[in-house]
Order: sequence, then C-alpha cells, then structure tokens
Amino acid sequence: MLKLEDYHHQDPTWCRGCGLYGLFSAFKKVAFSLKIKPEKMSIISGIGCHGRLNSYFNAYGFHSLHGRTLPIAQGVKLANTQLSVVAVSGDGDAYSIGLGHFIHSLRRNVDMTYIVVNNRIYGLTQGQTSPTSRMNFVSPSTPYGSKEQPLEGLQMALAAGGSFIARGFSGAPQQLASLITAGMKHKGFSLVEVLSPCVTHNKIDTYQLFKSVIFDVDKDPNYDPTNKNKAWKIFSRHGDKLPVGLIYKETRPSFEEQSLPGRKPLAFLDLVPEAGKIEKILEKFE
Amino acid sequence: MIKDISVMIAGQAGDGVLFTGNVLAKILKKEGWEVATYRYFPSNIRGEPTHYIIRASQKKIFGLGNEIDVLLSFDCESIIKYTKLIAQGGVVLCDGEELSRLKPTHKKGKAFHKFPLKILAKKHFKNDIFKNMIALGALCYILDLNFRLIERIIINAFLKRKGKEIVRMNIDAVNLGCEQARLIVEPSERHKLVKKMDTGKMFISGDEAIAVGALAAGCRFFAAYPICPATEIWQWLALHFPEFNGIVVQTEDELAAINMALGASYAGTRAMTSTSGPGGSLMMESYGLSGMAEIPIVIVDVQRVGPSTGMPTKTEQSDLNQWIYGSHGEFPRIILSPGTVTECFDFTAKAFDLADKYQVPVVLLTEQDVGQNSRTAKKFDLSKIKIDRGKLLSEEELKNNKDYKRYAFTSNGISPRSLPSMKNGIHMVEGNEHDEKGYRDEDPENRIRMMQKRMGKLSGSAKDMIPPKLWGDKQATVGIIGFGSTLGPIVEAIEELGDLNIRAKNLQIRTVWPFPVETVRDFIRSCEFVFVVDNNYSGQLHDLIHSQVKPEAGMQKILNYSSVAFRPSDISTQIKRAVRDA
Repeated sequence: MLKLEDYHHQDPTWCRGCGLYGLFSAFKKVAFSLKIKPEKMSIISGIGCHGRLNSYFNAYGFHSLHGRTLPIAQGVKLANTQLSVVAVSGDGDAYSIGLGHFIHSLRRNVDMTYIVVNNRIYGLTQGQTSPTSRMNFVSPSTPYGSKEQPLEGLQMALAAGGSFIARGFSGAPQQLASLITAGMKHKGFSLVEVLSPCVTHNKIDTYQLFKSVIFDVDKDPNYDPTNKNKAWKIFSRHGDKLPVGLIYKETRPSFEEQSLPGRKPLAFLDLVPEAGKIEKILEKFE
Repeated sequence: MIKDISVMIAGQAGDGVLFTGNVLAKILKKEGWEVATYRYFPSNIRGEPTHYIIRASQKKIFGLGNEIDVLLSFDCESIIKYTKLIAQGGVVLCDGEELSRLKPTHKKGKAFHKFPLKILAKKHFKNDIFKNMIALGALCYILDLNFRLIERIIINAFLKRKGKEIVRMNIDAVNLGCEQARLIVEPSERHKLVKKMDTGKMFISGDEAIAVGALAAGCRFFAAYPICPATEIWQWLALHFPEFNGIVVQTEDELAAINMALGASYAGTRAMTSTSGPGGSLMMESYGLSGMAEIPIVIVDVQRVGPSTGMPTKTEQSDLNQWIYGSHGEFPRIILSPGTVTECFDFTAKAFDLADKYQVPVVLLTEQDVGQNSRTAKKFDLSKIKIDRGKLLSEEELKNNKDYKRYAFTSNGISPRSLPSMKNGIHMVEGNEHDEKGYRDEDPENRIRMMQKRMGKLSGSAKDMIPPKLWGDKQATVGIIGFGSTLGPIVEAIEELGDLNIRAKNLQIRTVWPFPVETVRDFIRSCEFVFVVDNNYSGQLHDLIHSQVKPEAGMQKILNYSSVAFRPSDISTQIKRAVRDA
C-alpha cells in the first residue's frame, strides 16, 4: 500500500513561506491520489529555486539545464510512454531562456505535465527582473525600473495550440492539486502555471496581492473551458485581473499516439532486428 | 586501357547536375568499377554554378583524382573555370556560346565541342528537362557504357511514377544523345571503359552509412534540426525507423535535439543526434551535461566550412578543437573519425557501445566530403555488430538492492545504471555536482572524488578504442598523419610519391580523443620527415599531436582551407618539394 510519505524524500530548504511549499505538498498529494508508484514517475526540473523540487520528492528525478527541461522531459516520455512525466520550471526557465521549447512543446502535444512556477522574479540569483515582472519593476538588474512589458505565458500557450491550459495559486493548494491531477490525467501536454510568491525578493507580488487580483473560472458556471473563444475572452474580462482554474482543454491525439501507436516502450525494445531485415533495406544501395 | 577516369558534370544549380551524375555513377558501379563521387554545389536551390565529379577506377579509391578526363557542362562558365583541371586528351562537351573565350593555349591537347543540349531537348521533346538524358546518352557513347543498364535505371526511376510514355521519351533522349555525340566526337577522343562484372558492392554516402550503423546498433531515438550537410542521416532514419519501432523527432532547434536525445537515453533508449558546426556550437552546454550526468549519447558532426554560417555545403575539418576542448568545465568524451563510408558504418555502431560502456558523450566527427559523397563499398558486415549496453542494470538485479547508488564510486569510475521505472533504482540526475546517489553536493571532498571518478573513466580505455591504421610501406621514413576525409588523397599521394621513388606511409588517426599518444609517438620516431594533413587553417591535428605527443622532431603542416577537398597532388607536391629540398 502506498502512503503519502512514500513520495517524500527529504524536507525542503526553501525560504520560510515560499510558494514552492504549497506546490510541493499539493504535488505529493496528487501522486498519492493517482496511486502512481514513485519509480514510475520521472520529474524533470530546470534551474531556479523550483529546480530543487525533485530532489525533495521521491521519484526518478532529473535536475537539468536552465531552459532545457522540456526537451529532456519529452525525450524521457517518448523513450518510455509508461512513465508519468512531469516537468517543472520557473518563469525564467519557461518564458525566457526556454521559450522556444515552450511554444513547440504545446503544439507537439507529448503526453506529460508542465508546471511553471511563476514568481515574477529571478529568486535563486538574488532577485533580478524576470520576463513576467511588471513594467517599471525595480530590482538589482533594473534599478531604474523595467522598461519591458511582462509576458503572458498562458495566452501564448493558447495561441500555440496548447491542449490543456490551467493556472493555480500556491496559496490555494487544494485547487492547485486538482488542476495538476486533471493535467496528469489529460492525454496530451498539460500546462499548469502556478502563481507562487517569492517572499524573500519580491515584495510586490505577495500572497496578498495575488489573492486580490485572481478570479476563479472553475467557480463560474457560465465558463466553458472547452470553448476557445471564451478562453481568449477570459484573459481580458476583468481588466488586469488574472484568471485561475482550468482555462482551456481540448481533446486531440498526443504526439506519441500518432508516432508510436501501441508499442512497447522504446527503452525496453529488443534491439536485435529479425535476421535479414536490415540486409533487405541495404539492397537499395546495390 | 583506361584504369581511372574522372567525369565532371557542370552547370547551374537546378540544371539536374546531381541527377545526371548519380545515374552515371550507378551505371559505372553496375559495370564493376570502384566509384567515388564529389559534389560541389552552392548553398542555394537555383542559379549559381555547381558541379559533380564522378570518378571510376579499377583500384580502391576514396575521393577525388587530380584531373578531369571528360567534362560535360550545361553552360560555359564551369568550362572556363576548370580548363586547367582537364587532362591532356580530355574531351569537353558544352552547351553554350562562350567556348570562343578560351585561349588556344588552354585548349592544346584537349577537345572542346559545342553540344546544344537544351536546343536538342526542346526540338525533339518540347521540354528542356530532357537535356539530362541527352547528356547521359552522350556520356554513354564517349565512355562506351552499356545501354541496357541505363534503360533499366530509367524504368526503375520512372515507370511506376510517370508511366510508359515518359520511360519511352527518356530512352529516346538517351539514344538521341548517343547519336548526336557520335556526330560530334572523334572516335579517338572517346574514353572507352572496359566492362567488368558488378561485384554486388554498395554505392552509399557516409551520411547514409552512419544512419545504417545507428539502426544496426540498436539506436531507436533520433532527434535533430535540419542542417547541411548532415540532414541525409535523419532523412534515411525517418524513412526506416518506423518499421524498427524507432522514432525520429524534428525539434525546434539543436538545443532541443541534443536534450531530447539525452532524455531518451537517460530513460534507456539508444539515442543519437546529428548536426554540423553551427548546431554543434549550440549543443555545447548539453555536451557537458552528458559528461556530468554520465548519460550516454552519440553526436554526429558532419563538418562544413566555418566559422559562423561559413559555407554550408563545402567540406572542412575545423570543428576538431571544438569537440576536444569545447563546453565549459572538464568532462570525459570520446571522438571518432571515420575515413571511409565503411568506417562510417562501423564507427557509428561502435560509438553506441562506447557511449554505453563509459557513460560519456561519443562524437562521430566526419566531414561533408565523406558525409554527402557516395562511394562504392563492400556490403556492410552486420554480423560484426554485437550490442553491448555496458553496466545497465535490470530490475531483477536491483531486486534486493535497498541502497542503490547511481554514481557509486567504483574501481574504474563506471557505475551501474538503473532506468526510470525500475523498482529500487530511484536516483537523481544532476547537472550540478552531486553525491553517489545523484543529489546535489557541494562538499569539496566529494567534488574531488567525483571529478576523479568521471575524468578517470577513460584512463584504461585504450583497448576499446579504434586504433590508428597504418597505410603504405612500414619501412618508409616519410610519414604522413591525417584523420577523416583526408585518407583518400593521402593514400593516393603515397602512390604518386612512390612513382617518384619517395617511400612514404600514413598513420590514419581514427580515435581522435582520447588521443593515441603511444602509437603516434612511435610512428613519428620511425620517420625522418613527418607531415600532418589538416583540412583547416591552423593545423588543428598538428597542434593536437604537438600538445599530446611533444615530439622531439619537427612536423610540417599540409593545410587546405579552400572549401574544395584535397586532391592527391596537393599533398604529394608539397612532400616532394620538402623531401627533395632537405
């Protein structure tokens, strides 16, 4: 019998009050509720405070390079489609240095879950401006204020053909857990952005602030997450306010369903082909 | 009797030079000749001059000869440019008006004929696309080739796709070309080739051979981004992987390509990516991740002219330093360099075993010259391939292991590897420095041990590496050292030097890293003169030997960074001069 503690490898050492604690506990609960054996999970993280998450979690973990979580995670999933693959990134990892992979992963639609922990700052490198920092944000890298527009990951994801787009808040771990659960059940690429305060470096985007700007589409009976037009409109419905909940979901075949239908995981194939099979192909060169 | 012949087909990109040349090469191969081709084409789809050399010989050849015996051109530009290369007794057919621009002295001893290919095509077939078949007919006449073979090739190429009528028109065009050539070319100008039997050899490019090697070695995951001159590897795999349950992914860039391959390899699949210099530069960070996290991977670099975008479709050997010294930090790596298409196949297969055994990145370093040009080769010996996955654990072996350590310190530094999904095998993989279980660890003592573990993995590896190969007379005191695609011209330069009573030998470096210090040192000691052949500006192999072997005697550089492959005479002339002057 699996227990919740089976997913706990060691106690985190994030700053007290960090939003990542909320994600960590929600994520363990998800794995437990889905009864995924720890050895059947592979968690790939990037560089940033979020990158420690998989070393605290008990599962196969891969702490990779800055920005390269997604290609590595897709490689893992394609090599072994029986694994539950989850990639975790920060806003720098996902929306800055790894942005190219973000867009293409959404359209490729490999069956995996991508959690983007958005704290609107570079925490691990001591508080520089990030691509999601607001205009005129003052930080050690922009002492006179940032002069760039913040980037909206979820709207890009919708434009890029994402098949599951959701946003949670680390201050609301229950909803976050249910969004990650739905994402992991989704057959395709599921994106769950997590608004997650950096209590040490970001004194503006606090729990208080996030609470005051979010509105929950899951609680709106008129909202239909399968309607793309509604999804587009929701981003601007309440001015600058941010929607949380399941924003968009569609059913379409995953990349591997189309390219690896019903096959044994590549990782465990018998590599010796039947006799004469390659020889036959080589006849074309004669 | 002709023992060796080179035919150049020239024109503008889009003229069908490659198609015409490939058909000719296949006929020559079917007639039992050794064939080597050489593509020289612009990084462009239409317009700009291009040429294709098809060389046939009765002996084993690996590349270009020194001269052109027959030149057929769809325009005059190439004729004027390459007149100097045309051999005495050579024959030229040219579709154009500008032959008059040639000085009489340039024409001496060579036959030049105007041959209105496009006009003939339009007149007889109402479409100038038939110029290629007319050209082939003319070449078949000059070389006295078997028309049955060309008919068969046409039928294979067109019957299914385009129908009987097109087949008939193409065969008519070949016959027309033959008849027209008979009217223009003097019997004495023909270069009649002796027919032999097709010995069942393959006619294959290095890129294709690499793809076959990967498939045969059990590679089942390939990710790449399009780039000249490596894309043929991918295209072959994309076509054939599905029936072996493999997958090819076209990624958004080279960063994704190498990282996806690393992810797949970490999860247990034999994985490869291929690229050329610019993609290699982008892959550098992840090259280091492979070394740090001890994830096997095979990276193919089909080198082209650099730096930057350079000349995407031309050959060079200037990425050597990048793979030996490249990426930040220090980590073990293996770099193999094939000199022939057969070695492309063998070394690729070997690369996967080495990557698995030592848990390091293995680079297969080749060049446009070997990668994109086709050569005849004996059928590949698939029975030689024994897939050895090294210390890869099974779930069974992990059964009673409650304290598995992915990066356990072992006597040779290689730690048994578990794969995701295996019970009791859970571990972390880190780009950060880590402890034996893979978890981040910044303790200096651990750092020292981990560095020694990784860097020491290749210390006893010489027995597994592909040793340098000696070519020519062992007793010779003129020594040449080269790697990769310079093999062909070096071997032929040795023959040319032999004709001048200069005995020379060649040491072909096949594992560039770890460098085979002892063998190279012994070779240098056995020579009075040592020449190092590099297809780059600075002499990267020369400098590598200098730093690794520290030879007592001096070595002379033979360099080429022209974008055109070495010809044998480029090497023999320089050696002759140096040896005679000494």
